[in-house]
Amino acid sequence: MSNVKCDHCHLVFSDSVMIHDEDLRFCCNGCKGIYHLLKDEGLESFYTKMGETTLTPPILQFEASENFDSPAFYERFVTLGEENTAQISLIIEGIHCAACVWLNEKALHKMPGVIEAHINYTNNKARLVWDVTILKLSSIIEMIRSIGYNAYPYDASMQEVRANKQRKEYYLRMAVAAFASMNMMWIAVAQYAGYFTGMTQEIKTILNIAEWVLATPALFYSGWVFYRGAYYGLRNGAVTMDMLVVTGSTLAYFYSIYITVFEKGEAYFDSVAMIITFVLLGKFLEVLSRKHAADTLDVMGKYIPSEVSILDGDTIRSVSVSQVNVGDTIIIRTGERAAIDGEVISGEGSFDESNLTGEADPIFKRKGDVIISGTTSIDALLHYRALKDYAHSTLSHLVNLLENAMRQKPKIEQLANRLSEYFSSTILFLAIGTFWVWYFWPHTFDRALMVGISVIIIACPCALALATPVATIVGLALGAKRSILFKSAAQIETMAKATMFVLDKTGTITKGRPAVVYATYHAAYDRSVLLALVNSSKHPISLGIVEYLEKTEPAIQTGGISEVNEIPARGLVGRVGGVMIAGGNALLMADMGIETQILSDKSLFYYAVDGKLCATFELQDLPKDNAFESIKILKEYGLQVVMLTGDHAASALRVANAVGIDEVHAHVTAQEKADFIARAHDEGHIVVMAGDGVNDLLALARADIGIAMGNGSDIAIEVSDIVLLNDSLVSLTEAYAISRRTYSLIKQNLGISLVYNAITIPLAMMGYIIPLIAALSMSFSSLLVVGNSMRSRWMYK
Amino acid sequence: MDSWVVAMMLGASLFLGGIALIAFLWGIKTGQFDDAKRMMNQVQFDDEKELNDASDQQKKREALKKKEYRPE
Repeated sequence: MSNVKCDHCHLVFSDSVMIHDEDLRFCCNGCKGIYHLLKDEGLESFYTKMGETTLTPPILQFEASENFDSPAFYERFVTLGEENTAQISLIIEGIHCAACVWLNEKALHKMPGVIEAHINYTNNKARLVWDVTILKLSSIIEMIRSIGYNAYPYDASMQEVRANKQRKEYYLRMAVAAFASMNMMWIAVAQYAGYFTGMTQEIKTILNIAEWVLATPALFYSGWVFYRGAYYGLRNGAVTMDMLVVTGSTLAYFYSIYITVFEKGEAYFDSVAMIITFVLLGKFLEVLSRKHAADTLDVMGKYIPSEVSILDGDTIRSVSVSQVNVGDTIIIRTGERAAIDGEVISGEGSFDESNLTGEADPIFKRKGDVIISGTTSIDALLHYRALKDYAHSTLSHLVNLLENAMRQKPKIEQLANRLSEYFSSTILFLAIGTFWVWYFWPHTFDRALMVGISVIIIACPCALALATPVATIVGLALGAKRSILFKSAAQIETMAKATMFVLDKTGTITKGRPAVVYATYHAAYDRSVLLALVNSSKHPISLGIVEYLEKTEPAIQTGGISEVNEIPARGLVGRVGGVMIAGGNALLMADMGIETQILSDKSLFYYAVDGKLCATFELQDLPKDNAFESIKILKEYGLQVVMLTGDHAASALRVANAVGIDEVHAHVTAQEKADFIARAHDEGHIVVMAGDGVNDLLALARADIGIAMGNGSDIAIEVSDIVLLNDSLVSLTEAYAISRRTYSLIKQNLGISLVYNAITIPLAMMGYIIPLIAALSMSFSSLLVVGNSMRSRWMYK
Repeated sequence: MDSWVVAMMLGASLFLGGIALIAFLWGIKTGQFDDAKRMMNQVQFDDEKELNDASDQQKKREALKKKEYRPE
């Protein structure tokens, strides 16, 4: 049997499992539906545009879209505009390629009543304007879903708007500064050529005036941020780097005007533009790499179901989560996420609590057990009684705590900032001193002024301003090559100073899903039939068996099987020919009258054919490859490594022993994890927390550095500062090594620029600096800093 | 060479450069560079259909303003 591509999502499957539709092949009904819909709508050019990209097959269960029309929802997310229009910001899920953006926009534009639909490909956020008299929001959402994507609203908060505005402002200022200084360069070439070969004063004045024209917007428009910074600095009684930039460039600017008008000496306009451009470049890089809390809470919205089904007498009603009262009976179905805490009344099934408690194995719930909001039903259909209302349930409580935790995140002052404060005041002091000494050691006023200014210009903060951003960019690039994503450049320095690593167990140290550790065979059986059976389920245990079968027998094919039924909390039952096959836990075997005797602390999966036990598999959550070596490396750096887990002590200790961690805290809740980190922080530790689940959120937000695993929950990725895209613990040690390296590079760069100043400033104070040398030295010191950073990049491959 | 030639050439080139700068600033301000990923793929979505679509949207907007807009 050959493998073929699905005609919609382009994923490759065996031909036997595909849905055949004339000469088309689909992997599921969802894909088939979308394909025909697009054909009918005349949007099939989507497939030529998308090229070789693969899509995620559509999910068929969504929460009901009527909820989008409720007044409460409108109040929260929709802004009403003029002429019956309304506007909403959405995040579109499932966008893989530019063609997806195209398809969504086209499909929305085709709907009457949609006035504007614009999707940002970079961050998947969409802005939608529609006419409320013609169209309901629910129909728009349904349209997006029907073509295989999903959309959820987010609050386009003030914070985000402000952040975007700031980024744009810096773009504009940077563009003007770059334009001015680049044009200044070719005029400066003429100036220097004239300086050596001689030119008339008339030409010189013309060149000076041209430079004057260019320097003015550079100083007063692009440089405005420095004036602002210097002003706020002074108000707080601090001499900042901005102050030095402002005094140096403003003095040089007016001095140059004086030179131009009275036609004597050399003008410094080029230095003015250069200083502003270089220092602004440093600030610009910083603004671009800054992370905003706003984006984080947007994604959280998706985790909170907005409505639940409650049983009202005999009828089932859907109500908004905030309308649920304590004591109401709530129905939860397979695949749904619980929004309210409660106690099971009837029904049974297993729940995935891994994102709240860290326990990887599914938890079986029956009458009397407690349901925690935020957990997902794997195969359970049950009724439960609400014990708390929405605001007091675990999940929404967690959101509030998260907001607090993000506010309390510690800030460690950067080395460069601290240094530049001393540096700036020293230079200003020296410059003023130089001026007075020259003035009273009889010299003319403008000679003294020029020497004083040359001290400030030669102490040019360019190299100092560039030292940190250039080094961090090298660090970011090194990380990116190893699939380590530093989300905020400033955090590299904090990471390098870390003294304690706190690791979550499930999903961080371990693989986060059960894998077969031991298999016993009792009788011969056809493995391809077993593969077909477990393949039909998405249960973590089934996935573990599939993985094991495919690993031990790579050439295995899926066998023919009919009538597979998934029995909640039991397992799978199917039929091959006339023979009954069953795979599941001891309960299923007991139901079928098969005796099982093995006792184990691990999860067990039994497989029986025709009422006879054939095989037993033991499954366990195993540590990741190289976990032991990676933790050893961290310890060799002298770091304290701690493991925190919500799981029970036995399995925590087993993993800790396997990977060599001595300090283990088991059975900790999300809040306790965060408290642990806050305590360690108070004791003077700089804490790095690595985790992946919702239960690590508070701790991630609270730690100096939060590290998320690439396949962890979206919200954990949002909250964290560093993402390890390949989930490997080796990357964790590499991230630390890169941070250390980058930090030492920052120190080297700062050292270079300080040594440079120590040589040139005395020369300037003695009056030996002519404009040519000033300009050369400025470029040269910046080049040294950039060159040193590049050297590090080549050396650390 | 008379110095006014230098002055004129400098003036002309700075003027032209200035126009380009203003055009660039306009582009940033109106958000044309906001979506870097989309910008790089824009060539794929630049045929007749897109122009028609854009004009349809424009018509919808105008119709809404005039309050004459009725869905079919």
